Amino acid sequence: MMEDSDAALVTRARAGDQDAFRVLVERHSVKLFQLAYRMTGNEQDTEDIVQETFLRAHKQLNRFESRAGFGTWLHRIAANCSLDLLRQRQRRRGQDGAAEVESTEAIPLIPSPAPAPDQAVYHAELRQKVESAMEELTPMERTAFVLRHFEGRSIDEIGGVLGVGPSATKQSVFRAVQKMRRALEPVLNPAP
Amino acid sequence: MNHLNEEQLVLYHYGEAQDRAGVAEHIQSCDSCRANYQALQRVLSAVDAMPVPERTENYGPEVWRQLRSQLIRAPMPRRREFGELFRWPRWAWAGAFALLVAGAFLAGRFWPQPPAEAAFVAARPARPLSESARERVRLMEIGDHLERSQLALLELINSRTNGAVDISVEQVLARELVAINHLFRRAATDAGEPGMASVLEELELVLVEVANGPAKLTSEDFAALRQRIDTDGLLFKVKVVSAQVRAKEQDAARELAAKRS
Repeated sequence: MMEDSDAALVTRARAGDQDAFRVLVERHSVKLFQLAYRMTGNEQDTEDIVQETFLRAHKQLNRFESRAGFGTWLHRIAANCSLDLLRQRQRRRGQDGAAEVESTEAIPLIPSPAPAPDQAVYHAELRQKVESAMEELTPMERTAFVLRHFEGRSIDEIGGVLGVGPSATKQSVFRAVQKMRRALEPVLNPAP
Repeated sequence: MNHLNEEQLVLYHYGEAQDRAGVAEHIQSCDSCRANYQALQRVLSAVDAMPVPERTENYGPEVWRQLRSQLIRAPMPRRREFGELFRWPRWAWAGAFALLVAGAFLAGRFWPQPPAEAAFVAARPARPLSESARERVRLMEIGDHLERSQLALLELINSRTNGAVDISVEQVLARELVAINHLFRRAATDAGEPGMASVLEELELVLVEVANGPAKLTSEDFAALRQRIDTDGLLFKVKVVSAQVRAKEQDAARELAAKRS
């Protein structure tokens, strides 16, 4: 049996068909989870963002313009929710600087690429290093980077989420990559 | 072609470089830039390894189960049917019609008529770059600059503090912005725009301080810099001027479009 398109389901959901909205939720949940997790790096926050995204989408369904693509629209809402959360988190960090120092210092440094038996350990540590480098990005940089690198969104789309123009958006992507590079290059390309 | 800088390589990687073919050709022919690009690719490949917790096929139904009860509490706002918009009482229709007739009469009576010469000028084909087109380009450039500066200040005051603060990345950007800012500030002074010139001057002082100061600040120095930006309301002023410039630019665009039509 052929699946209903998103556009058809949105039309039905707008007319009050809750089952149509259920199908949309079930169809897009996993992708939204991946986006929100990459933006927040925290599983519980991600679950909250997925819920919040669908609630906002349901409330604003009449404002959705079908030419944008429902998935794209949802991802934009999720990115906005995540950006809000990152900003709140940063404000909290600013108020509690001491706790932050402790948590950052607890992250171990990664040794240079290890021989085969230690590959699993090396990869686990590399992942941890990537996560901590992502944590170092500002909310705007992280949003711009995730949307460009993992989601492949255009500069205009990202600018729409961040509320800035193309030049500032490109700058955010660039600065994020630059910071990631500074954090990871010593590990990946150790000096001889 | 000169060596490619980091920004060009990043933009090329994401398909945003302006001269994509030229950059590709240069990477092929230049050992140094190729090595630099490969190092960048290694970093970005490592980032791809960032794990995302697995979610099974039951995840969607689970999200729906939790969502459902909340949706019942907050039903979707009903969409107004097209016909509903026209369900006005008869007296409202009569009033609206009377207003329309009166408005049309007054508009015809008092609307300024364009002089014959102005109509002739408007009818002529537009020159390659008119005064208003140049003004629009200028406003676009200032708008971009203010937006970048605003972003730079935001990023700066949001930098993480772990004892010392490394602002070397912000410094590179500040150096670029200082040079451009200087030109715009002088242009604003010459054009008799004291408000704009004053904000650009304040901005320049902070940018110069960041650009020429140490790359690593103690938490006290950083707090002082952040407080200065906050206390002077610089970020807010830049935001306001930026919004004004964008609004003017849109007016200029509309004016241009009207002239062309």
